Amino acid sequence: MHAEAALYEPPFPSDKPRRPGWLRRHGRETAALAMLAVLLFPFLWMVQLALRPAQDAFEPGLLFVPTLDAFHALWQDQFARSFGNSLLTSTLSTALALLIGVPAAYALTRWRFRARRHVALWILCTRMAPPIAFTIPFFLALRWAGLLDTVWGLTLIYLTFNLAIVIWLMQSFFAAIPAALEEAAWIDGCGVWSAFWHVTLPLTRPGLVSTAVLCFIFSWSDFFFALILTRTQAVTAPVAIVNFLQYDGWEWTKIAAAGTLVMLPVVAFTLLVRKYLVRGLTAGGVKD
Amino acid sequence: MASISLRHLRKHYAGQAVLHDLSLDIKDGEFVALVGPSGCGKSTLLRMVAGLEAVDDGEILLGRQRLNEIAPRERNIAMVFQNYALYPHMSVAENLGFALRLQGVRPAVRKQRVDAVAEILNLQGLLERRPAQLSGGQRQRVAMGRAIIREPQAFLFDEPLSNLDAKLRVQMRTEIKALHQRLGTTTLYVTHDQIEAMTMADRIVVLKDGRIEQVGTPLELYDRPRNAFVAGFIGSPAMNLLAGRAQEGGRVLTDDGLLLPMPQGLKLSPGRAVWLGVRPEHLEVTAADHGLRAEVQVLEPTGAETQIAARLGKQNVIAVSRERIDLRPGGTLGLRPMASQLHVFDQGSGARLN
Repeated sequence: MHAEAALYEPPFPSDKPRRPGWLRRHGRETAALAMLAVLLFPFLWMVQLALRPAQDAFEPGLLFVPTLDAFHALWQDQFARSFGNSLLTSTLSTALALLIGVPAAYALTRWRFRARRHVALWILCTRMAPPIAFTIPFFLALRWAGLLDTVWGLTLIYLTFNLAIVIWLMQSFFAAIPAALEEAAWIDGCGVWSAFWHVTLPLTRPGLVSTAVLCFIFSWSDFFFALILTRTQAVTAPVAIVNFLQYDGWEWTKIAAAGTLVMLPVVAFTLLVRKYLVRGLTAGGVKD
Repeated sequence: MASISLRHLRKHYAGQAVLHDLSLDIKDGEFVALVGPSGCGKSTLLRMVAGLEAVDDGEILLGRQRLNEIAPRERNIAMVFQNYALYPHMSVAENLGFALRLQGVRPAVRKQRVDAVAEILNLQGLLERRPAQLSGGQRQRVAMGRAIIREPQAFLFDEPLSNLDAKLRVQMRTEIKALHQRLGTTTLYVTHDQIEAMTMADRIVVLKDGRIEQVGTPLELYDRPRNAFVAGFIGSPAMNLLAGRAQEGGRVLTDDGLLLPMPQGLKLSPGRAVWLGVRPEHLEVTAADHGLRAEVQVLEPTGAETQIAARLGKQNVIAVSRERIDLRPGGTLGLRPMASQLHVFDQGSGARLN
């Protein structure tokens, strides 16, 4: 009956404008939320797992009494130290990569020397092979230098990768700054590097921040090199998590708690610098 | 303040000569405009004086000091860029005070001088704004303020008004000229707009293909251009240049058969190919049967005067009349060149012959 009625509905709109349905009005938001839920599911699942009591880790349903036992257990373990190692290697390698890479990128952008393009390409070469190709050379080199299982050794390895990221990303940010601004600074009394410091660098701040975030995340989430180049002293958090998979049982809540902790600094860091990631700081100084 | 001397300057880019043996003396306090078509080397020359381009050969002197090997920051020359080049991340006050900050001037003194410059340039209410929040004319003023706050030996302007709209350009023209009269700083001003050069400069340097075509006061260039290029470049609307050959009895026969007078006393061998130059305002507009018969093509009334684009024989000419004339496109009129106001140039070299 109803189906028939629908069939005889006039094919043109009635006089009264029809209000769009709920789905039409909120369809976009609903779709976005659905996708977000799918994407966030693993993370949310991990966070809830971290807060469960160890006994009912895999109980269905979300009704449980949250506990911080897993986090406490982590802190009594070696995990705190690994976490510190991670922070140290990531911060150090990011800072050093910026310190060396930013001036290098600037020189490669502004200084027109003959081998410029070759140099830039060779720098990128370090990222062209899969990381495993470098494992044995890195291992032998660090052993020779006595840097195996040290924070500095690992920092050095991350630095080699982060430098390439910094130099390549920052080159394009520097290229976007009009040379006239630097020329104006030279005439105003700057030398090459003071013009860089006072004018160019502040203008590339959004780029600098996003580059730093990328470097930090790369070092922070590395598992492979940390696994091979450390043993006990310089173990980082991602490697330490694997140690919770033991013969006598897998400590799921501790794994989830550690995973949550590993995520935290990256989330915090990104939220903290989000305002710098906003573009448009260079607008208006130079008429296009 | 100081004079600027350019001695036998040369500049090459990738084997291509951009400036050929260029020499010029700019007197202390003088306002000199460099004009020429794009690619003539005028901006390169300015950038060499600023220190932004290296000198391949020759010498630049500021007063008695040789500048060639001196870094831009030590030259004590200020420059205003075509695109303003204001520091986007600094407020107007910071932009103005930047050079002083680098010199280590104390904040209190710096503020005093920024305020003084802001007053000269009418920027008082804008000191806390960023360049992005300013209009084109205001940015232009900040760029000028950044130059004058340093009290430099010389100012360099690189087409500073080309990004402004027509009305603002005229206004800023007057402001820059007034500023120069007030400060008396030696100024080198690059423009492709000959009207800017004519109205502002004490002397004009016309450049073409890296060579100086003529140096002189605006009226010297207008009244006695040294060659056909300068004649065509200076003046708006441009001088009419008619191709023809010298005849016996002081006349010129144009290529399409019109017989025109030549300036008195000029004797040229018959048959010599020349350009006969006559400025639009020296073509008297009369009735069709009183002068050279020409066909009206376009009329452009500006109110004060009317520009008439007409076809004279096979050549296009422009005449300017201050009378309210009743003409229509397609109609005919008579044009009478004023014999005392004619210019004759050699067709081969372009050099002035009278």
